[in-house]
Amino acid sequence: MAETLEIFGISASPGVGVGPVHLAAEFTAEAPAPGDTVAAEGDKLRRAVTTAVAELEALAYRSDEESAGILDFQIEMLLDPALVEMAEERMLAGDGAALAWFGALDDYIAGIEAAPDEQLGARAVDIVDIRNRVLSALTGRPLEDFAPGSVFVGKDLEPSLFLAHDWTTGGGIVLFEGSVSSHVAMLARSRSVPMLVATGRFEIAPGARVLVDGNDGRAVIAPDDEHVREAKSRKPAARPTASRAGGAIETADGVAIRLSAIINDPLELRAVDPASFAGIGLMRTEFLVTSPADAVDEEKHYDIYRHALDWAGESPAIVRMLDLGGDKTLPGARRSESFMGLRGIRLLLARPKLARAQARALLRAAVHGNLGVLLPMVTVPDELEAMRAIFEEESTALGRRGVQTRMPEIGMMVEVPVAGLMLDRFSRSDFFSFGTNDLAQYLAAAARDDQSVAALYDAATPAVLRVIAQGVAFAEAMKKPIGICGEMASDPRHIPALMAAGLRHFSVAPNRLADIRTIIGGMCSDGRAAAEMK
Amino acid sequence: MDNRPRREATEAVETQGYCQAEIEVTHGFGLHARPSVIFTRLAKSFPCTVEIKVNDSSVWLNGKSIVKIMGARIRRGSILKIRARGLRAAEAIHALKALVERDFDEDKKHGRNA
Repeated sequence: MAETLEIFGISASPGVGVGPVHLAAEFTAEAPAPGDTVAAEGDKLRRAVTTAVAELEALAYRSDEESAGILDFQIEMLLDPALVEMAEERMLAGDGAALAWFGALDDYIAGIEAAPDEQLGARAVDIVDIRNRVLSALTGRPLEDFAPGSVFVGKDLEPSLFLAHDWTTGGGIVLFEGSVSSHVAMLARSRSVPMLVATGRFEIAPGARVLVDGNDGRAVIAPDDEHVREAKSRKPAARPTASRAGGAIETADGVAIRLSAIINDPLELRAVDPASFAGIGLMRTEFLVTSPADAVDEEKHYDIYRHALDWAGESPAIVRMLDLGGDKTLPGARRSESFMGLRGIRLLLARPKLARAQARALLRAAVHGNLGVLLPMVTVPDELEAMRAIFEEESTALGRRGVQTRMPEIGMMVEVPVAGLMLDRFSRSDFFSFGTNDLAQYLAAAARDDQSVAALYDAATPAVLRVIAQGVAFAEAMKKPIGICGEMASDPRHIPALMAAGLRHFSVAPNRLADIRTIIGGMCSDGRAAAEMK
Repeated sequence: MDNRPRREATEAVETQGYCQAEIEVTHGFGLHARPSVIFTRLAKSFPCTVEIKVNDSSVWLNGKSIVKIMGARIRRGSILKIRARGLRAAEAIHALKALVERDFDEDKKHGRNA
C-alpha cells in the first residue's frame, strides 16, 4: 500500500476534494520539422492561430461572463499580429513553425513571469495557455484533458483547460507553483473547486489517490479514510485565524506576530484597509522622485507622510528615506549608479540637499503620528550618526523658525552583509528591518535583475536566514525591535524558516496579507506546522 | 478633505504633428488582462496611429498591440505617455486618456482580479 504523505501549500480556493491524480505532462516543442519554406511555415502558423481563435471563441460562447472575459483576453492576444511576427523572426533563422512559435512565446512568457508585480506575473499562465493551444493546432497533438473527478497536479493549470474540464463530479487542483491571483484561482473559487498553490515540486505515483484540503492549505497523498472523513467534517469557518483584524495574529502556540503593510506608492493606501494591518512597515519614497525638483520638494514629501500617518492612526508608519542608485535612477543623473556604489544612505550623505529636504518633511510630519524613519543601505555606524546629525540640525533650524517638529525613531535597513554581521555595533539604531532582496544579492554577488544568475540569487536563501537568525539574537540582546520588509516576508514558502529564525514582525505586500496570515495562524512559533505537533 | 496626491493628467498637446498626453495609471493592478483588452480595442477604433511610452522608457510602443502593452508590464503608478498622429488623433488621445482616468471602466470585481 502506498505511503501517506502530507504536502503543504497555500489555499487558492477552499473546500475538500479527493480523487485519482492526473499528473500534467509538460508541454514541449517537437523537433524541428524540416523541409518547408519560411513562407509555408508562416502560413501554417497563421492557420493554427486561426484555429485556436475559433476554439477559444466556441469555448467563450458556452461560458459564463467571467470566464468569457478571461478567454477574451487570450483571443485578443492571438488576434494581435505581434505574436506571429515574433515567431517569424525565428523562422527566418531556420526554425520550423512549431519550434519558432514555442521559442518566441517562451521568451515572452519569461518576461511576464519576471514581472515584479504578482498580479501581472499571474497572467503568464494565460500566455502558456495560448502557446499550447496553437501548438496543438499546429502539430495535431490534442490538448490534454483528464478524467472527471481527478485531482490535477502540475506546475500550473491553464484557464482554458480548466474551463473545458467537467468539474461537476468533484476533484481538485494542486499546483507546484501557480498563484492565488491567477485566472484559474479566480475560476476555481467561483466554481468551488478546491485548489492549492505553491506546494513546490513533489513526486507522486501515477494513479495515486490525492486529498486536496483547500480549507487547511494541504494535500494528502494516499490518504486513509480517516483523513478524508476528518477533512470533510471540518468547516472552513472553523479557522479562528482567518478574520482576526488589526495586523496581529497568534501562532498556534500563542505567540503574537505583527503584520504591517509595505506601501510602494501612496496611492495604494486608498485600496488598503488600515484595520487589517499593524501600520506601515515600509513606505518607499522613491516614487516621489520623477524629477530633480521633486526630490527636494519638501511640501510634497510632507503631504504624503501626513497622509500615511493619518492612514495608520495610532499604529507606526515607517518611511524609508530615498533609496536611489542601483536599479533606481537618480533624477537628473544620466544613468543609474552602480548597485554597490553611491546609493541609499551613501548617496543621501553625498548629496545632503536631498537628505535635508526629506529630513525636514519627516520632522514636521512626525508631530502628527507614530513615525519611524528607515535608512537604506547602512554599512557602518558612522553613516547612522551622520544622518542623525542632519535630523538634529534641521530640527534645531526649524525650531528657530517656530516650526513644530518631533524627532522620529530612526532605524536602519539590514541589507548590507557587513552591517548584518555586525549588528551589535549599531546600538544607536532605534530599530532594524531586514531588506532581504538586496541582502541576498550582495551575499551571493548575483544581481537580482540578471536572469542568467537567478539561480545563484535563490541559492543565497540559507545564508540570508543565517544572517537573520544572528541579527535577531543581537537585536534581542540590545532590546531593539527587529522585523523584515523584504520580498521573502510576502512569500509563504519562506515564512516557516523566517519564524524559525526568530522574526515576529513581518511587513508584507497588501495583496499577500490573507495568505501570510493563514500560514502563520497554522504554524507554531518555531515555524513547524501546527498539525505536525500532535 | 481629499488631499491625496494624484498626478494631474496634462491636457493633450500638439507637438511635431503628434497629439500627446501624459497620465498616471491609478487602476488597482496596472494595465493587466482586461484593462489591456479595453485599451487596445479603443485604440484600434481610431484610424490614426496610437503609441505609448512608459515611465522613462525611450521606446514608443504600438498602442493598438495588446502583446506590446502586456510586455511593457505597466503597473499602477506608472506614467503613461500616449501619442497619436493622423485622422482623429486629438479625439483618440482624449478618449484614451479619459479611459485611463476612469480606471478602464472596471467594476470592483474585475478590478481585483483581472
